[in-house]
Amino acid sequence: MKKTVYYAIIYFILVIVSIIMLVPFLWMFLTAFKTVAETMQVDPFVIVPKVWQTQNFGNVIKAMDFVRLYANTLGMIALRVFFALFTSTLSGYAFARLNFRGKNLMFSLVLLQMMIPVQIFIIPQYVMVSKLHLTNTIWGLVFPGIVSAFGTFLLRQAYMQLPRDLEDAARVDGCNIPQTLFFIMAPLTRSAIIALGIFTAIFAYKDLMWPMIVCPDNRATTLASALAKMNGQYQQKYPELMMAALISCVPMIVIYILFQKQFIEGIATSGGKL
Amino acid sequence: MKKRVIAILLSALTAVSIVGCAGAGAAAPAADAGSAEAVEEEAEAAPAEEEAAPDSIGSSVEGELSITIWDEGQREGLQKIVDKWSEESGIKATIQVVDWNNYWTLLEAGATGGELPDVFWMHSNVAQKYMENDMLLDLTDRIASSDKIDMSNYYEGIVNLYQSDGKQYAVPKDIDTIALWYNKTIFDEMGVPYPDDTWTWEDFAENAKKLTNDEHWGYAIAPGNNQEGYYNTIYSMGGYVISDDKKTSGMDDPNSIKAVKLFTDMIAEGSCPDLATVSETAPNELLSAGKVAMSINGSWMLAGYRDNEYTAENCDVAVLPYTSSPDDRVSIYNGLGWAASANGKNTDAAWSLIEYLGSKEAQIEQAELGVTMSAYKGTSDSWVNSVSCFDLNGHMKMLDAKLVFRPYSRDTTVWEDMMIEKLQDAWTGDKPVEDVCKDIAEEMNAALAEE
Amino acid sequence: MKKKASSRQISEFIWGWIFILPTMAGLIILNIYPMIDTIKQSFFKAGDFGKGNEFVGLKNYEKVLLDGEIWQALWNTAKYAIVEVPVSIVIALLLANLLNKRLKGRDTFRTIFFLPMVVAPAAVAMVWKWLYNSNFGLINNVFNIKVNWISDPKIAIYSIAVIGIWSVLGYNMVLFLAGLQEVPRDYYEAASLDGANGLQQLLHITIPLISPTIFFVLVTRIIAAMQVFDLIYMLIDLNNPAWKKTESLVYLFYKYSFEQSKKGYGATVVVLLLAVILILTVIQLIGQKKWVHYE
Repeated sequence: MKKTVYYAIIYFILVIVSIIMLVPFLWMFLTAFKTVAETMQVDPFVIVPKVWQTQNFGNVIKAMDFVRLYANTLGMIALRVFFALFTSTLSGYAFARLNFRGKNLMFSLVLLQMMIPVQIFIIPQYVMVSKLHLTNTIWGLVFPGIVSAFGTFLLRQAYMQLPRDLEDAARVDGCNIPQTLFFIMAPLTRSAIIALGIFTAIFAYKDLMWPMIVCPDNRATTLASALAKMNGQYQQKYPELMMAALISCVPMIVIYILFQKQFIEGIATSGGKL
Repeated sequence: MKKRVIAILLSALTAVSIVGCAGAGAAAPAADAGSAEAVEEEAEAAPAEEEAAPDSIGSSVEGELSITIWDEGQREGLQKIVDKWSEESGIKATIQVVDWNNYWTLLEAGATGGELPDVFWMHSNVAQKYMENDMLLDLTDRIASSDKIDMSNYYEGIVNLYQSDGKQYAVPKDIDTIALWYNKTIFDEMGVPYPDDTWTWEDFAENAKKLTNDEHWGYAIAPGNNQEGYYNTIYSMGGYVISDDKKTSGMDDPNSIKAVKLFTDMIAEGSCPDLATVSETAPNELLSAGKVAMSINGSWMLAGYRDNEYTAENCDVAVLPYTSSPDDRVSIYNGLGWAASANGKNTDAAWSLIEYLGSKEAQIEQAELGVTMSAYKGTSDSWVNSVSCFDLNGHMKMLDAKLVFRPYSRDTTVWEDMMIEKLQDAWTGDKPVEDVCKDIAEEMNAALAEE
Repeated sequence: MKKKASSRQISEFIWGWIFILPTMAGLIILNIYPMIDTIKQSFFKAGDFGKGNEFVGLKNYEKVLLDGEIWQALWNTAKYAIVEVPVSIVIALLLANLLNKRLKGRDTFRTIFFLPMVVAPAAVAMVWKWLYNSNFGLINNVFNIKVNWISDPKIAIYSIAVIGIWSVLGYNMVLFLAGLQEVPRDYYEAASLDGANGLQQLLHITIPLISPTIFFVLVTRIIAAMQVFDLIYMLIDLNNPAWKKTESLVYLFYKYSFEQSKKGYGATVVVLLLAVILILTVIQLIGQKKWVHYE
């Protein structure tokens, strides 16, 4: 009996929060099928479109080359994730578990990087990219994401959470430092690595200013920047903007659902280990 | 032992995957170039096809020009015109769009790093800064020896705007005018005759009152609607925003104050929505939703109104009212210019493109395609027919009104932003319009002194 | 004794540097160098396009200290952070804790809470602008109220903070879930046997054990909140009466550096922001010894 009440309360909380989280999406979805006039109708207040304007979908698909935008976006994400995970695993472990001269100074530089607003990097980084003739290429998109201070910090925290004795045991077994990292320690930070991968993907996906500037060519740019162009000064077609926003969310949702599975596997494995 | 082997394998794998990625990356732009060619086939620009280098698209590819603009709505039409030039010259040129805000960041970054696009738009807000620093290609001599371009064919204000030290840095591209957009349905419903060229600003305010009820307002204006609002009345009523030498502000001129007061009085009377409403929903959005009967807008709004089924059906456009005689009917105008990078790789080709874009032929086509009205005098007539849902004579006839170039100085945004911010107090009625305008004039004079 | 380092110390030194080398090289070229350049700029009256800078010493700093707009912006930024960070952390911690149990529909809830993270920033701003609209928005019309959510200077910054909370809840939750994976289940079983209730378990087991993760979230969220820009930039324009009360420090920096070509002054604003964030972070780094437990 007590247990039922307990679960009822939990579900109640979860459902309420879910509704709050979903309302903006629902609104986005409904608006995507409205006429422009309906979006500003007050009396009667229109929640559900009178006639579902399905041609909004067709218009948006026609206006934006989604296949290419998806490809560019996913390509950029894949490369940024790869580089961020690789470099951050190395540096996160070093900062967490190795003692070497200059470590604290270097780690404070990592923290410092996170404190600087990204806007100040835009112009210097653009100058570098254009000197390398990488504008309008996928490498131009990836450029600022080759290393990750955020990832370094995140994985450092993850390594600090792990027990010391595992490492000591590995050392007794004769593992050198890279072996300890790659075979013993890195696999244990799996959920943190997946979290970092998801975040790197999402931050890359949301990045707006950089792709806009470094890849102004519609053929080379990303979803977020194409969307912002559509939202340009003189446009007032909210339903179509909402439709475009919806379509551009889809790949990210898929990525998240795919990797959420990995999360759960992570639970199963880590449960047995400790 | 086994572990060591695995370690070696792993590092080898990492190395391979890095190399593998590099390979994939190199392949991706190649694919881009492939489809670029596909696009080109439509344009039948056969000779240029070989020149699409596979290693990079866009800027600074040998033999290909990059054009950067900020309005996605104009891209298609302009690309058509550019393609015609490509046919003649055999040089490929692709238009790239960056939204307004990032456009200026891109140009700033490009100018700092010495890599501007080959050809791009210039705007009154920043033109002076780019010209003074020799970022733009000096076109003076080329124009002098050109048989297509003669500066006297364009509207004077736009020509002057892109001049510095007697040199010409851009060829005028287009011109905009301001007109009165109105909702026919609301006018019919309220029994008010449609606006025409006999309206004075007084009639305008009077009718706005008649057009107001619980459902909608007569007119809407935000403090930011300067070119699309009080700048027009200021010059129409004999005031001014900035002196000709760009050293002093005219916002404290009694006529300027009167011109602003026209609108703040309407807000106080309730025929205009309050500041909170227009700050959340812009006046043009209110018009598109049937919430206001009138809105003063620039001709650049055409595409938005045309593509919106509500406005296309219910709205139309008329000339702006005058103050005491039709001679003081004012349209504040502005115009973009086509400029080229001073240190571009192929300045001759860039000039050839600009020369083409400024030619009578291309200017006529720009109007015909409905991209914008053109800066070349007398070439915009066909623009009127570019849409069927509105009678664009409202905008066209404003070309015959008293054209006043949009007030600007070297750092226009500094005092313009300040003005918009301070006008809020006049909008809400927290401070008398006189005080606000005097305050603005004082700060504007200080800002101008610093330039 | 210190004369000769052990071979272990030598190898930690060598591998340590090898491991951090890619990251540090990248950070220094991409980020640290531009930052030093910005700090340098704050002592100049910047010329156009990086040329003709004029050294003015501490003038920009003197001006910043006397500039009411900047202090207002700092206060706006602080208000945003004070609301967004703690609220989003507490809610996310509770949700993560609930979703760490074996519940039916757990995956669905997780996905729902995470959804806002994957919406493009332009779309977030657009949809909330509509929800908040005082005339045509869902909130006012459904509850039949008349609140100027984003144009009333008194509440606009909090309305924006609500959007911030909505957007980052998924971020915090995923990190907490990842942290919870490292907590062994038998701890809870033992606690249950001792009669500890859910709240006690949360306070005495969960929070201490994932304190490194909480610390990470706290540090990164405060830094990010102090840099709030996109949302405000897209929601509030010059026409808005709440403009002055919502302008953040990064917004001011953007305005000076990108819109008004006062680069030197803009750089000074960034240095101020950097100093504030630095102080907040150092306080947290010192404070963590009191509550963050590493294994």
